[in-house]
Order: sequence, then C-alpha cells, then structure tokens
Amino acid sequence: MSKANNRLSIVSNWLAPSLLAVLVLVHSGQIRAAEVELKPGETIGPNNWQRVQGMVGENLLNRIKGGYTFQIKEPKLYKPLKEYVEATEKYSKNVKLGPNGELLNYAAGLPFPNFDRNDSQAGPKLAWNFFWRWLGDDYKTGGATKEGKINRFAIEKDGSERRSDLVSYFIFPRTRYMLDPKPVIPGYENIDYMQLRIDSYPRDTAGTTTLEIRYDDPKRVDDLYIYLPSIRRIRRATTTQRCQTLAPSEFVLDDINSHNGKITDFNYRVLGEKKMLANMAQEHEPYHRKPGDYLPIDEKWEVVDTYVLEVTAKDPNYCYGKKILHINKMTYDNVWTYIYDRKGEFFKEFWGFFKPVNLSDGREVWSVGDVMILNVQNGRSTVVTATRAYNRGYPVSMFSLATLQRIQRGESIE
Amino acid sequence: MERLRRVSVNLVELLFLVLLAAPAQAASILGDEWEKFFTERVKFSGYMENTTGLAVSAGNRFFAESNRFVMNRFVIQPEFNLDFNEKVKLFISWRFVKEPRYSAEAKSRHRVVSYFPVAPVQPLPNTFYDEDSFKPWEMVWNINPTDQLNIRLGRQFISWGETDGIRLLDVINPQDGTFAPPAAPNLFNLDETRIPSWGIRTLYTVRPVSNTIFEFFALPGFWDEAKQRVDEIVGSNDTGDLKVRYGRWSAHPETRLVLAGRNAFGNLFANPINPVLCQTATPTKIGCLVIPSTSRELPDAGDSWKIGTRITHSIGKLNFGLGYIWGFNPQSTDMVFKLKGVTCSSPIAAACAGGAAPSVATLRLVNDRTNIFAGHFNYTVDEIVSLPLNTAIRGELAFYPDEPYNISKFPGPFGLRAGPHPRHPDGTVEKNTLRYSLGFDRTTLIPFLQEDPLRPFRMSFQIFQRVILDHEDGIHPFSTAQKIKMVSTNLTFRVSTGYYGDTILPDVFVGYDPAGYWNLNPAVTYAPPWNEKVTVSLIAALYGGHNKFNSLGFFSEKDSVFLKMRYQF
Repeated sequence: MSKANNRLSIVSNWLAPSLLAVLVLVHSGQIRAAEVELKPGETIGPNNWQRVQGMVGENLLNRIKGGYTFQIKEPKLYKPLKEYVEATEKYSKNVKLGPNGELLNYAAGLPFPNFDRNDSQAGPKLAWNFFWRWLGDDYKTGGATKEGKINRFAIEKDGSERRSDLVSYFIFPRTRYMLDPKPVIPGYENIDYMQLRIDSYPRDTAGTTTLEIRYDDPKRVDDLYIYLPSIRRIRRATTTQRCQTLAPSEFVLDDINSHNGKITDFNYRVLGEKKMLANMAQEHEPYHRKPGDYLPIDEKWEVVDTYVLEVTAKDPNYCYGKKILHINKMTYDNVWTYIYDRKGEFFKEFWGFFKPVNLSDGREVWSVGDVMILNVQNGRSTVVTATRAYNRGYPVSMFSLATLQRIQRGESIE
Repeated sequence: MERLRRVSVNLVELLFLVLLAAPAQAASILGDEWEKFFTERVKFSGYMENTTGLAVSAGNRFFAESNRFVMNRFVIQPEFNLDFNEKVKLFISWRFVKEPRYSAEAKSRHRVVSYFPVAPVQPLPNTFYDEDSFKPWEMVWNINPTDQLNIRLGRQFISWGETDGIRLLDVINPQDGTFAPPAAPNLFNLDETRIPSWGIRTLYTVRPVSNTIFEFFALPGFWDEAKQRVDEIVGSNDTGDLKVRYGRWSAHPETRLVLAGRNAFGNLFANPINPVLCQTATPTKIGCLVIPSTSRELPDAGDSWKIGTRITHSIGKLNFGLGYIWGFNPQSTDMVFKLKGVTCSSPIAAACAGGAAPSVATLRLVNDRTNIFAGHFNYTVDEIVSLPLNTAIRGELAFYPDEPYNISKFPGPFGLRAGPHPRHPDGTVEKNTLRYSLGFDRTTLIPFLQEDPLRPFRMSFQIFQRVILDHEDGIHPFSTAQKIKMVSTNLTFRVSTGYYGDTILPDVFVGYDPAGYWNLNPAVTYAPPWNEKVTVSLIAALYGGHNKFNSLGFFSEKDSVFLKMRYQF
C-alpha cells in the first residue's frame, strides 16, 4: 500500500507536473525555446543553430543552418523617460477598454502598466500598450541617420538592388510629454498622430508626399492625402486598402512600425512570453552586409524578453491571415514579426534593430535602427535604415495640406 | 552675340545667388565653410531623357502628309535645391531640349507647303521644339516668415484641381501642346508640359487642424514671353507673314494646307467677293476657295495679368475649396477667332471677283480675359449599405461667365457647312459656361492578375462635362465647323500596377467622348531591379473617331508609338 502510495505520490508530485510541462511546451509550440540560456560571447552558427531555434524567424534560422554566424552580446537596457513614467502613473488608473476594444479615458503614458497576460482582455491591452509606447512628442524617421533620411533598398531574389530615400515625420499631438503645449495641442484632442512622408530619391519620385492622419474615433478611417509631383496636385486616397505594397518595397501600409493598422480593426490574442534574439544597440549604421543580401555581417544579437501577440483582422477579406508580433517587455517595441497569408502559409518575416539616440538634453532613448523584411514566398527583401530623431519641435502647421501645396521636388521642409 | 549676352548675364546672376546664399563670410570659396554648405545645403538632381516617336497609322517616308518619324526629343533638366536656412529655400532648374530632325524631312516639308498663288510658305523651322535658353525653367524662392505663412516667389507652377490627364481648374499656367500629344499623360505628364510663369503665390494656414488655408497668387505675365503665356497646341497658321506655325500635334499640320482642298477654317466661309460663282451644291471652283490667314493675337504686357485667390477647408471627411481667378486664359480650347476682313489672295483683286483666285479670310486668334469661379471637393466613401466601396471621390467645378465662343450659321450659304452668322458679324458670342468633373479613385488587389497578390491596381475614373447655360445653336470651336452641343461629355479611365517587384509597370489611360471619339494611351515601363535611376518605357498614343475634324478625331491620323529612355541623376 505504501509502495502504491509512493508510486501515486511520484505520479502526482513529479510525473503530473512534468506531463503538464510537456503539454504546455507542446501547446505553446514555438515558445519552447524561451528557456534556452544564451551567454554573451557565445557564437551561433551552423553547428549549433538549435541553440536559437524558436528565437528567430524560420528564414533566419535556415540562413544560420546554411552558414550565417554571429555572436551573442550583453543585453542593452533602456530606462523609460521620467515624463512618460509620470504620465503613466498619473493617467493609467482610469484607462479601460470599451466594448469594441477602443481605449477609454486615455490621456498619455502607457495605458496598461500592470499588464497581465492572463487578463481576459490581455490581447487588446497589449496592443494598446504597443500603440502608445514611448515614441516622443514628435520624430523624424531617418533624422538620426548619417544622411538625415531613410535609406531603403529593395533587394531582388537574384541580389540586384534598388535604392530609394525618403523622410517621415510623426507628431503625436495629444500625448505631449516634453514639448509645449503639453499635454495636448489645442484643437488636436481627437488625433492620435499625423504622419508626413516625403520621397526624396530617385528624382522622379522625389517630392511625392503623403499626409496621413489617425483619429481616435474607432469608426473613423484615416485621412490620406498624396501630393504627386508629376501632376503637381494633391489627391485624396482611401486608407481602407491597407494591404497594398509601398512600392518597390515588401512593406504594406499596415507594416509601418511593424503594425500600423487601426488597433480597433483587429483581434488580438496573447500567445505567451518568449525570449527572442534582437539587437537593441545596433553597432553600425547601416549594418554591414554583402551587396544583394540582407543579412548583417558583423552585428551581434542579444536575448530580449517578449510578449507574443497574435494579430488577426476583423475584416475577413484582409490580406494577411495573421501577424505574430514579439513585443519587447522593456520598451513595448516590436522586435520580430511573422506574417502568414490567408491560406495560413508563412509569408513574411521581419526584424527591427534598435539603437540608442540622445534627446537634446542628452538623455538616452532608443530608436528603431535598421529594419529588414523578407517575403519568403517570392524571395524579395527590403532593408531600411530609419533611425529616428525625437522631439524636434515640429510645428503642427507642418502637418497640413499647405505643406503638400508648397513642397518642391527634392526640397527639405524643415 | 545676344545669346552670349544672355548666357553671361545668367551666369552672373547664378554666381550672385550663390554668393548671397551662404555663409558669405566664408574665408575662401574653397574653404571648409563652403564645402560644408554645398554638402549639407545644396542638392543636385535632374534627369536626361530621350523620346523617339514613330507614326504608325499615316505618313510616308517623304513626309508629305503626317511625318512618319514624329519625334526625337532629347531633354536635360538639371535641378538644384539650396536650403539657406529653415525659412528660406531656393529651387532652380533649367530645361534644355534638342530635337534633331532629318534634313530630308525639312526638304519634304518645304516642297509640300505652299500658298496661293506662288509665294512659298515657310514650314516650321527645325529648331521649333528646341529650348536652349539659360533662363531658369523654374526659379522659386520658398520663404516661410512664420510657421503658417508661405511665400513662393519666382518662375513657378501653380496647379489647382485634382484631375488626371485632362485639365479643368489647372488653368493658371499655360500648357505647351506643341511637342506632346493631347490626352496622353503616360507619354508626357502634366508637369512636363506646363510652362512656368513668373509671379508670387502665398499660402496662409489659418487653422492647421481643419486645413483652413488662404491662398493668393498674382502672375504679372509681362516677364514671360508672350508666346509662353498661351497654349500652343493648335497652330496659328499665320499665313500673314508666310510662316506656318502648326506643331506636330496640331489638328491640321501645315502639310494639309494645299491649294486644291479646303480645310476646316475654309469651310466656314464662302467667297464673299463673288458669291454667285459659288452657288452650287458643292463649290469646287478655285474662286470659291477661301484661305484662312490666321494669326495669333498675343496679349500685351498689360493684358497678361492673372490673379487668383482661394480658401480651402475640411469638415470631417470632406475637404473643399472655393476660389476665383481673374485674368488671361491660356487654354487653347477656349480661344476664339475674330474675323477681321476678307481680301483677295491675288495681287489683282479682279482675279477673285472673276473666280480665278481664292479669297483670304483674315482671322485673329485670341485668348480673352476671363473670370473663373472655382470650387473643388474631395471625400472618401468607405462603404455604402455595408458594401465596401473604398473610393475617394473628387469633384471640380469652374463657372465661366460670358465665355467667348465662335458662332456661325449652319448650314452656310452656297452649300457650305457653315457661314457667317447674321446676328454675330464678328463670329463670336459670349455664353455662361459651367464645367465640372467628378473623379473616383480607388486601389484594389486583384490576386489572379498579379504574380504578387499585394501589388495593387490603382484605378481612376473621371467624367468631365461642359454645360453652356444659355446655349445658342451654331456655337462651335474656333478650329472646326463642328457644333458644340449644350452639354458635352468626356470620360477617362486609368489603371496602373506593378509586376515583378515593381520592375514592370503597366499604365493605361483611356479617353472616350460619347459623341463617338476615343483615345488610348497605354504604356509599359521597365525599371531595372539593378538601377533605380534608369527607366525605359514603350508608349502608344492612339486616337479614333468618326470625324477627324472634331474632338479626339482630330488626331486620328497621328497614331504613334514611342520609346522613352530616362536617366535620373
């Protein structure tokens, strides 16, 4: 009897949890690799690719198997700005979700600082945390690169490349932490952000300018105006077709900043937590690579803790079946994205490197650095160098149609 | 000498600008400050382009009718951006064009162009399409005294409206139609065919959040060459000075000015010198022929002003604007001719009276001053009754009070199609005219037509209508004896996409006039994946209609294909 009890005890005390653990691992599938301990200085390559299995996209894993070798480095840590922390403490208490997943009573800061992935509304809450992560009061994408603009390379499967340059300005008029007027620019209480994107190279596209406005009203679609230098006119465009590629890249409109769709247009599910390989302190800008290939040659990777968020569109006709984001727990930025088509087949994977940049007062913050997207179905990839310059104090009048009316081909609007 | 003087003056001006521009306290023109300035503040770009066109539907190797080799146009356009500081910027560009022509073509045209009785008429010179002036093509000072005020000063383009391929409110700058075929935006886009004007434009953003913007512009016109203030799409057939100025896309090139035939102008007039001779159903005697001697009446400096103002605003998803333009109207299709008199083509007046020589109608082709009350709107429609529409709708409206038209009596005397109107002896009449357009734009994914399912098809449908509110029978355009109905309509459709990573770019523009005319402007561009600076395009401009003296039928003998190679730098 005692033997039987002992056996039972073994089963209940050891086997059951083990089985449970196995079940969890099987259930969570790709999250399995989260337990791997990688040490700084360790070299990963074709001989030990299993060490990072599940911590990178399938395609990158295959490249590692095929010879790509890199080192693991110490994780780069960032501190959130005190203004953002203070706003979070001040405003987050009253923030809640509405019946359609919309954000209610939000003013500034991280909407849900005490995020619990077991919360029944964890998915949309994490999505909102991602949307309202710290991004400054305004920024110029590409503003902190050597050339002061975004460099984008469209790489064909055969290795041929085309370059295009652009700049992109964002302003967040109702979540201002450092620049006056704070916390809201009067009259802009209902606008989440405005984006001005200006192509500057090659010449024929130079001057093509888009003004995009995102409203907080979940039912109102974005406004989008495009100035076309070939006709010198402003045209209105719809933003409902959000899956069109941004020629000649592999990004679609909703891929900007990993996930640029209207938050309330999607369903969200937290799949778990996971350690991923990322690069939060990119060493070279742009990262060194062989011509015709997107792989960074001499960048080191680090391990970051992420939440895994599954994004599916409410619209059944949406182009992507699902998107899997890996959201850095430290910054709420996304480090890896996996995209599946409507048939459920793997479609695209992209990563974002990050790097430290300084505000005008010298404080260090983080910015996206180089971003790579690969369409695994057609073999084309796009590499973008897009380091941001924050808090430039752009006048809100810059984000109006007057800018589109006065833009000159190749001109700087700053 | 004159050219040398111009070049010298312009180079001095440029040098002066550069000296003014910068950190002028720089110690040396080769010093660090200058290097820094040019590196950080000066941007250089531009393009080179060669376009070769061949007529495919008419013409022969002797160029006796329509020229088989219609175009070989080489363009270089260097462009500079100088950012002096955040408030003052300068954009300056030059355009140089050379169109080498076969000498055989010129000789052929000399042979076939004639004028009664024997005086040779000079066809277009071979340098007609060339542009070799060092005068800046564009030179715009962009000044921002405050965040909300923008002033653009200099030789510039001002474009109102949102239409594609066809202009409605875009009537502020003239459009050069001499080298570009009409309604063919895939060959030369509007930016390449507009002619810049000297002037000032100010934009004041009253309220940024609602895009409330007040705009004012003034183009004095007197700094521009008179010829450049007007459209040149239709030649002036200026036989008064024995020069024929029909460009290649004119409705009737100079080679049609033959003695034995009558052209559209001629059809409007019967021989008033001896009408009895022509009282047959089909007057074919030479004495019944009327040769139009048409000359362009270019506006003088005082008549060339153009002033306009507009306010735009957004309410919710609706964006709209209301404006007003006063001044000189450069649209070719709005020109009218005024009959100034009839003379005999022979030095001996009795030759006409006796029916031995045609008479000459002296016409002045003029663009009158105009008032335009303008409006536009755009709006996005996401869905209607749960049906996803996803379309941007745009509209433009222009009201021309007292717009001048030519008017004749139909049918004319002596069996001719039209003749002088008894109530309007100078052949003109003024009517209130409303023009409007509606455009529908959307992008859509059509996976089964694409190798990459997410490359969008961009589609645009437009309808244009002109309504002559107090219409009168007999109104016709200056160039033909075809009546204009109270309501005339044009439809356009455009679709474009990108294949193979946007390296193969098809674009099709179609125009249709329900009266029975059409044009087709397909293009396919190759943008090689290994060089973003190069594009090669194969383009066609095709026209059709049941009457070659009307609408797009004008160009039915000018179907052409083009190879365009472009290098951007």
